[in-house]
Amino acid sequence: MKILIVEDEYALLKTVEDFLLAEKYVVEKATDYYSAMEKIMLYEYDCILLDISLPGGSGLQILSEMKKENKTGNIIIISAKNSLEDKVQGLDWGADDYLTKPFHLPELHARIKAVMRRKQQNGKPTATLGNSLVDFAQRQLHVNGQLLKLNRKEFDMLAFFVINKDRLITKDALAEHVWGDSFDMADSFDFVYSQVKNLRKKLNDGSSDMAIENVYGVGYKLTI
Amino acid sequence: MKLITYLISRITLSFTAIMLIWAAIYFFLQMKEIHDGIDEGLTNLKQEFIAKADAVPGFADILKANTPPNFAIEEISEEEAAAIVENFATTGVYFPTELEKEEVRMLTTAFRCRQNGKYYRLQFFISTVESDDLIKNVLFLLLGLWVALSLTIFVVSKIIVAKANKPFYRLLDELKKFRLDNSRMIDLPPAKIREYMQLNSSVKELLEKSIRIFTEQKIFIENATHELQTPLAIVIAKLETLLEKYRNNGELMKEIAGVLTVLNRMRRLNSNLFLLSKIKNRQFTEIRSMNLRKILEAVLAEFEDVAAYRQIAVEQKGDAAPSLPISEDLAHILFTNLVKNAIVHNEQNGKISIRYAADAITISNTGNRAALALFERYRTGAGDEKSLGLGLSIAKAIADLYQIGLSYYHDGEMHVFRLSLRNAGQR
Repeated sequence: MKILIVEDEYALLKTVEDFLLAEKYVVEKATDYYSAMEKIMLYEYDCILLDISLPGGSGLQILSEMKKENKTGNIIIISAKNSLEDKVQGLDWGADDYLTKPFHLPELHARIKAVMRRKQQNGKPTATLGNSLVDFAQRQLHVNGQLLKLNRKEFDMLAFFVINKDRLITKDALAEHVWGDSFDMADSFDFVYSQVKNLRKKLNDGSSDMAIENVYGVGYKLTI
Repeated sequence: MKLITYLISRITLSFTAIMLIWAAIYFFLQMKEIHDGIDEGLTNLKQEFIAKADAVPGFADILKANTPPNFAIEEISEEEAAAIVENFATTGVYFPTELEKEEVRMLTTAFRCRQNGKYYRLQFFISTVESDDLIKNVLFLLLGLWVALSLTIFVVSKIIVAKANKPFYRLLDELKKFRLDNSRMIDLPPAKIREYMQLNSSVKELLEKSIRIFTEQKIFIENATHELQTPLAIVIAKLETLLEKYRNNGELMKEIAGVLTVLNRMRRLNSNLFLLSKIKNRQFTEIRSMNLRKILEAVLAEFEDVAAYRQIAVEQKGDAAPSLPISEDLAHILFTNLVKNAIVHNEQNGKISIRYAADAITISNTGNRAALALFERYRTGAGDEKSLGLGLSIAKAIADLYQIGLSYYHDGEMHVFRLSLRNAGQR
């Protein structure tokens, strides 16, 4: 899986690169409009993370150039501008997703996976972990071939964990991914805890190999 | 009132007044001219008569016995004669031939006949133009003139005004369509009239300035978000990497997680502050007619889990589904903040009651009286925005933007937030 990161802020670029390398992606970098254009026109990428404001031009310009050249790629716009116009325009011009800075790295990972899944032509988007099979398209979990019923939010949580297997998911990142950005109540962590507990119980009762570990009260981790 | 109606009605009114005054003057002048002519004739008649009477013996007496129809003669005493002052008068005389009284001009005078030394009173009269008829004629003529002129003025001014004002009305149309947010200058209509050219250039200057300021402000806000969000993004990403790196050091992880939590709060605060300023700068301009009930129900669905976790019962009353032209995102944010507020300030086993009416939506929640003080402060608008929490400030800003009356009261049992839609959507 080859990913191009187009980002002019070096510190952020480096962090994202390290994270993606750890997830076994092949990562290429571009820090300005021209080098990004050059790379995009010369090579094929499985996913492009595109910053909007770049030295030399804008990410939206890159999108329109790509459209002209009939270049497609899984593009996720990463912008600090939480501006609706940019979002709408970006998605109109062929971007697949829009992520606002700052973001949690597991969230980025989930978005990359989701975008790739959507573009996947052959084969079902599934993940097999031990005796468990997660079907992202049908939003179903099978354990030993048996369907294990999960409600909507529980599946959202599970999918997030599965994509970020063995990685620590903070409560913040989990709450935001599943219940949205507007979710920021004082005792939201207790709520998240109770929801994770329910999911954990279902996995346990269904004797899935997957287990959700509590990591020092900081967050959770899915292991087999 | 339309400009053209105003112009024409004023022109017609003043025109009528002028016509009336002019008609009166015309009438009196005309009558005077006619009388002057007749009076001259009467004077000549008198002089000829007196000359004849003085020269021909018995002329006066013969005439007295056989007076012609337009003449009267009567013998009078010297004293009476002295009392008569020669005068002209307009009066009515009965003419047997006409079978009616005719209006005549009459000269009354007295003279002493040299033939016999007697005094006579003489009256000559000539029938004159009937003033009634004249008035009627004049009025008819003037009325005709008035109608013709009014019609002409109406039609001509309508054409001229419409043509002359074309740039004005086109400008008006363009201005109505103008939206500050799409930053597109309007098409200024070509104008030949100097005032309209000046209007055009003034409007152009004003709009360009507004667009520039609006754009600058928008860019500034977005840049400010950008400037703040990027470092935040870096710090959060780096700390998450650290968490991964020191996965066996529980103490350190807890410290890092603590910092992350604070940073996340800062991030939300930051984006909420910018949201607030964007609302107040009216930067949400994508307005469509939205079904508010649908949006609120969607928001309630999002909070279903949380409400269930806290064992808060949510009930909805009323069948109304009011709609409003509003930004979908802002409507969503408005209800999210109100519902969140109703959950946060609720109690265990509490209740949230939503009531829909055609012109109002109320969101009520149970909760301790402590929250009352907070909401009261909100209601009285004591201006202490910090203590309100940003959520309600944002809700208030959105409500203000669309003229939704957002009010709070406690009905003895529940905290009630009421959204009055009566004047909503009138921008």
